[in-house]
Amino acid sequence: MKIRFWGVRGSFAMSGRDFLRYGGNTTSVELRTDAGERLLIDLGTGATELAKTLMGSEFGKGQGKLPILLSHTHLDHIQGLPFFTPFFIKGNEIRILGANPASSQLEATLQNQLAPHYSPLNGLENLAAGVSIETFTPGQALSLPGFEVQTAALPHGNMWTTGFRITADGKTVTYLSDVEYPNVEDPLPTAIALAQDADLLIHDAMHADHDYDQRRGWGHSPARAGVVVAERAGAKKLALFHHSPDATDDMIDEVVQRTSARTAVPVFAAAEGSYLDV
Amino acid sequence: MKITFWGVRGSYPVPGAATVRYGGQTSCVEARSAAGDCVIVDAGTGMRALGNKLVREMTGPQRYNVLLSHVHWDHIQGLPFFSPAYVPGTKIAVHALLTAADELQQVIGGITRHEFFPMPLEAVPAQFEFHQVEPGVEFDLGAFHVTPIALNHPFGSVGYRIDGDGSSWAYIADTAPFTDVLHKQHFLAGPEPLSDGDKTSLGTMREALLRKLQGVDTVVYDTHFLPDEYARFPHFGHSTPDQALEICVEAKVRRLVLYHHAPSHSDEQMDQIAAQYLAKGEKLGIEVLTSFEGMTLPIGVEPAT
Repeated sequence: MKIRFWGVRGSFAMSGRDFLRYGGNTTSVELRTDAGERLLIDLGTGATELAKTLMGSEFGKGQGKLPILLSHTHLDHIQGLPFFTPFFIKGNEIRILGANPASSQLEATLQNQLAPHYSPLNGLENLAAGVSIETFTPGQALSLPGFEVQTAALPHGNMWTTGFRITADGKTVTYLSDVEYPNVEDPLPTAIALAQDADLLIHDAMHADHDYDQRRGWGHSPARAGVVVAERAGAKKLALFHHSPDATDDMIDEVVQRTSARTAVPVFAAAEGSYLDV
Repeated sequence: MKITFWGVRGSYPVPGAATVRYGGQTSCVEARSAAGDCVIVDAGTGMRALGNKLVREMTGPQRYNVLLSHVHWDHIQGLPFFSPAYVPGTKIAVHALLTAADELQQVIGGITRHEFFPMPLEAVPAQFEFHQVEPGVEFDLGAFHVTPIALNHPFGSVGYRIDGDGSSWAYIADTAPFTDVLHKQHFLAGPEPLSDGDKTSLGTMREALLRKLQGVDTVVYDTHFLPDEYARFPHFGHSTPDQALEICVEAKVRRLVLYHHAPSHSDEQMDQIAAQYLAKGEKLGIEVLTSFEGMTLPIGVEPAT
């Protein structure tokens, strides 16, 4: 299984010189099996970059099939939806899979994003591709072409996000973005279970450890939370993810350095455009 | 009066090496009078950096006036990240066209629904006010006199002529030209044939725009597309620099600023566009500038010293 990070930034897309190495696009991660099946996680602005690549393939001809997992519907995770060009090509079949947000429906939320005052698309029905919105209950397992997915609800401030454990080609990637555990030093067993023996753990690292105290309760983790999960779960590698919009490239370097110094688990910061063979 | 561009991009923010010089953030322009009065036009992602600057300079709670051209995401997405909104005592007055059946407050409140953003509008410390603008109905905001102008964009959009300190500028975005497509309150999968009534509506809109722009010093105009791009997407609601120049020549404007750049236009392409239209403008007697993030322009001809 191969993974490519198309967007690694949290909350807000950041442009400019200070964000060139790690990238300024908001969250979107592509997984590919050895046989070529694809799975996308989240539709932040990074998805618009992937879209350019996809349009040169079967998706440009209306023959593409893509399942997309949404962790949740905060804007930085769906911002790329109206600009993801495979949606505009008739014949493509795109599945969007996510949990219903509390007190709302996933489909209604995405329709609201494309409501006429916000977007000229005026609703999902105007996307030319075949688009299906499929909801699951966190905890439910999903079987997608080439991928087996386990899901779990995790706390994200005043709402819930979905964590994913994705297995393909005998390898496992765990995606825990936008999570904040009630106790950072003692992460929730559900999170540890999802990351058990994972080959790669992608974890929310929005805050540097020293900044966390002022930002407690905002729904994001300090870098050290991912370390505790990785160590307890026996994950083989940790990718710090969902970087703060205030974190420049140099600041992220520093976080990686400090985080590496406290654990034997290999740590790196996810960088836009980078490939990884899991 | 001077204006500063905090976001010059259209549609969605485009980070990366290709947009370092012109900038990747979406629509947001700050106007400031000589006395320090401020008005913000559009609340795209550029508004985050503006807010951070305003908080750094803040001596006490302030009142901000935000004029919205319309409420597509690229023009409102910065609002929840505008840091003065989290300073108690701040007042934010949002002025916008009422285009949908919903109340303006619901539209703006809708972007902070819990599905989209962690903090609902009611929980934000700043006090929000919502004012509906109507094309042709002028109003004053401190040192500024504001004239809303109807534009041609899906579900409606409004431009603003802003007079202050004895000079004037206008913000004309987002808009399609007034020739091929009349934007109404429904989705356009492609250009629709124009009825005689549509042609009259377009003509009326164009006449009103020309009248309001008469003699304006600087016009900031939606020039999202190059002509070949416009030919493919005439129903997207955006203009080309050539179409903007045509309007500015007729309205006898001194200076045109290209704005709302397509997300696909790299810095190199923007350099070419800037050079090409600077030359074209010179022949027509109009100074053509290409906006970039961080650009500040004094409005009005500088007095000779």
